Amino acid sequence: MTKTLRHRLRATALLGLLSATFAHAAWADLAKFEVDGRIYTKHLYQNDDSQGILTLGNPFWPDKVSGHNGVGTEFELTFRGKVSDSVEAGARVASRFGQRWQDWWESGASDFPAENTSGDSAGVNRAALLQLRGTYIQLNTRVPGLDWFRVGASDFSMFNPWTIGKVRYIDRDNGRGYFASGHFGKDDEFQYHVGFIAMPKLFVGPGWSTGLGDPNLGGNAFWSRDWAYAAAVRWQPREETTVRWVADFTQDLEVDKADPDAVGSTNPTCLDQLGQPIPGCIINHAVDMLSRYSSWNSTVDIDHTFLDNWRVQGLIALSGQRIDPTLAGNGVALNQGVFPLVYKDADAFAGTLRLTANDPWEVGLSLQAEYFNIGQDYNAIFGARRESDVLLTDGLVGGGGQLPTLNLANEFIDFDDEWVESCIGWHGGTGLATWEKDETRVRAEYTYIDYNQNKQNRNVDSIYPTFLHSEGFTDTSVYDYANTLDRGRDPRSVFKRDQLRHTQIAMTNVRQRWPDAHGLELDAKLKYVSDVDYRRTNGVGALGDDYDGNIFIARAKLSMPLWDGVKVGLLGQIDHWDEQHRTGTAELGYGNDVTDKQTAAFQTQIYWQGVKISYYLEYVHKFQDRERQPDQLWNIVRSKATIEAAW
Amino acid sequence: MRFFSPLRLLTAATLLAIPLSAMAGGDSTLTLNDPAGDDNGPGSYKYPTAPVYTKGSFDLRKLEIIDKGDKVEFRVTVGTRIEDPWNSKDWDGNGFSVQFAQIYIDTDHEAGKGFTGALPGLGSLKWSNDEAWDKVVLISPQGRAKLSAELRKAGAMKAAAVIPTVTRAQGSTLIATVKKSDLGSTPLNKWGVNVALQSNEGFPLSTDLLTRPVNETGGEHRFGGGADGDCDPQVIDILAGNGKGDASEAGDQHKALAYKCGSQVAHMPMIYPGQ
Repeated sequence: MTKTLRHRLRATALLGLLSATFAHAAWADLAKFEVDGRIYTKHLYQNDDSQGILTLGNPFWPDKVSGHNGVGTEFELTFRGKVSDSVEAGARVASRFGQRWQDWWESGASDFPAENTSGDSAGVNRAALLQLRGTYIQLNTRVPGLDWFRVGASDFSMFNPWTIGKVRYIDRDNGRGYFASGHFGKDDEFQYHVGFIAMPKLFVGPGWSTGLGDPNLGGNAFWSRDWAYAAAVRWQPREETTVRWVADFTQDLEVDKADPDAVGSTNPTCLDQLGQPIPGCIINHAVDMLSRYSSWNSTVDIDHTFLDNWRVQGLIALSGQRIDPTLAGNGVALNQGVFPLVYKDADAFAGTLRLTANDPWEVGLSLQAEYFNIGQDYNAIFGARRESDVLLTDGLVGGGGQLPTLNLANEFIDFDDEWVESCIGWHGGTGLATWEKDETRVRAEYTYIDYNQNKQNRNVDSIYPTFLHSEGFTDTSVYDYANTLDRGRDPRSVFKRDQLRHTQIAMTNVRQRWPDAHGLELDAKLKYVSDVDYRRTNGVGALGDDYDGNIFIARAKLSMPLWDGVKVGLLGQIDHWDEQHRTGTAELGYGNDVTDKQTAAFQTQIYWQGVKISYYLEYVHKFQDRERQPDQLWNIVRSKATIEAAW
Repeated sequence: MRFFSPLRLLTAATLLAIPLSAMAGGDSTLTLNDPAGDDNGPGSYKYPTAPVYTKGSFDLRKLEIIDKGDKVEFRVTVGTRIEDPWNSKDWDGNGFSVQFAQIYIDTDHEAGKGFTGALPGLGSLKWSNDEAWDKVVLISPQGRAKLSAELRKAGAMKAAAVIPTVTRAQGSTLIATVKKSDLGSTPLNKWGVNVALQSNEGFPLSTDLLTRPVNETGGEHRFGGGADGDCDPQVIDILAGNGKGDASEAGDQHKALAYKCGSQVAHMPMIYPGQ
């Protein structure tokens, strides 16, 4: 039995016929491919009246799939083919996610403004049509210095979160471009990657677009020639030392409307209002382009291990952007500050330095220290949007990590998914001690954050985006984009009109396993966040506007395997957030709010005969005692169950 | 200063306090070394081309077996820092993503006892009859639940497979703790051992136990330089020679893993440091 028997389809017979036709008999031996299949079904239920199968979808364009009550399935096929000794090709087809089981009548033929029972009412997502993704052809060359050349899909993991970030898993092979990689130098000590990447018309640029929907373009956006260019060189002069340079440049081009050849030109005849020729205006059937927005990021990082168990990692990053205000609308002013970049030309630096002592005294105690300083105008517009983490700290929101971008993607997630937060402007340090012995691990962290954004009377009307909501500790568990439930600060909100803020984070985490007690494991975490913002330091309201947040979070999880392939867990969490002067205005004053939240959950994972089943049931009780607004109460019961078969 | 209030500093200090007592050492250790640069199986294997498979990821450098009373700690060191590019915490993993080490142990050195074939997914690889293995310790990034479920593919070998109570990565070393009772009562110095270093494949072929195939032509997530069938040994690096780490042991490995589809099966040597 060969290893490929299950998924590989040897097309000998078929290709025998082909070979007779095309006189390429050798193809019969070479033409083969692997096929992986996957079916994933998710059940999402909550004691509310929303309908959907995604807790948080697209906050801007209603996606008709977000909500908490429904069952949905997606299916995908991944093909990897060996074309010849040096050529590999592949593709993935996957159904659009969003079809609830009750939608099984949908054909996807139309997308009516209002749902109806015609069977043609709700568009392609609800019909779960298959979409082509992940197509690539890779040439594994024998050319010195060129290992491979790839045309098509990549997850961009060869670059880094500060430049062009690895694409999140659900979109992992949607990005396409031209890529090459190779080695050179003595003992192949240099490795390089280059990429020419088709920029997504969604998310990289002003207003999360490369022109579409921009009011300054009058419905005449041009995006087919928008590309990003990236390069990475990794130099490993010695086994213990790695130096890496990564850089990218993005270019969003738009049509020069003054060009008489452009559609919608302002000078179609090259004559002015008096009928006189416009100097320099020539009709030549060639259209000039202008740059609406360009950006660049570049990093140099060094990773060096010494004395066996000491490691130093340093990174310096540069960020820049140029905006043509005639081609890019000012979303800070026009979209209530919800905008993924500062609306001005900007250049900024960032740097991190991390020192790790990995059990230097051989007693199980490891120490880490990190200094970070990220410029307030740094922005990795094409950087990682989630599923990466550039800092050592547990952070404020915790879980998902910190990223140097305003372009975070805390959407298309469920209530049990981790959140990321922006670390733009953070300046401070982290100390982390880890002690491990046998089945015990104890971690303790202290972090101090100052903010490069600390400033009075910042222009948040037309330059710096605030994302509307800048006050209060973020409650990711009952988050709603419109903040109608007072869920606190948007994780992208790094700018305020008046700010003098400092944050301290103290965290300890204990993990204990008892192998003799059937593998029982305890994972407990205590976290304290002191977040102080003196806000306005002079003028009206300055004496009574100081935000003083004291956030206590205690969490414990007990888990154990019951049988082979079956694991169960119980989780409890208590939150107490005492926030003085949390919400209000300098003119009207601020109220003191206290939030208490208790969470209990049960979860299980079952692996059986190639099928993975998971179930998570959670109860959340939250009471928000608000001084200047009515108190709020939540009693939420919600669950998520998935079953996945991959073969 | 409101910011540095005594209460806050006390709270922070309390949270930072960690127990520094009960740190002890003094355990006996068996160390076997492997030369650098022989992470190519029989000499021809190439890494997959995706960037996560960094140089040295499968270059076995050292195996340490530490007797810790009623437990045994296994440490497998590779030629580069072990990273977690696939965020193993998201799939209940153990803090690393790419590597998968299988430590084969002959506890009795008796002919006719034990297994002479590898776990599924390592291709054609045979042990000598008198070096047949009795236990195999699996150092996998996959969580216990998935690993134990996948072991259904191992048939009779499942009973001989040992899932560590603790698996983690530290620096360039994979660390696994195993209850000694799971390995039998034979003293460690009587053991014969070897390591089969492979790559973790979260979506394996149906017959493979979480291993990444070695094909004739490499690919983004496929090793290259082998054969498309199962006639090749699908291991990237093993211990060879006397486990001293001499450069000549690379040649010993290539010789042991040499194969010819249809006529020659690769051989997995065992090293008996105490004999």
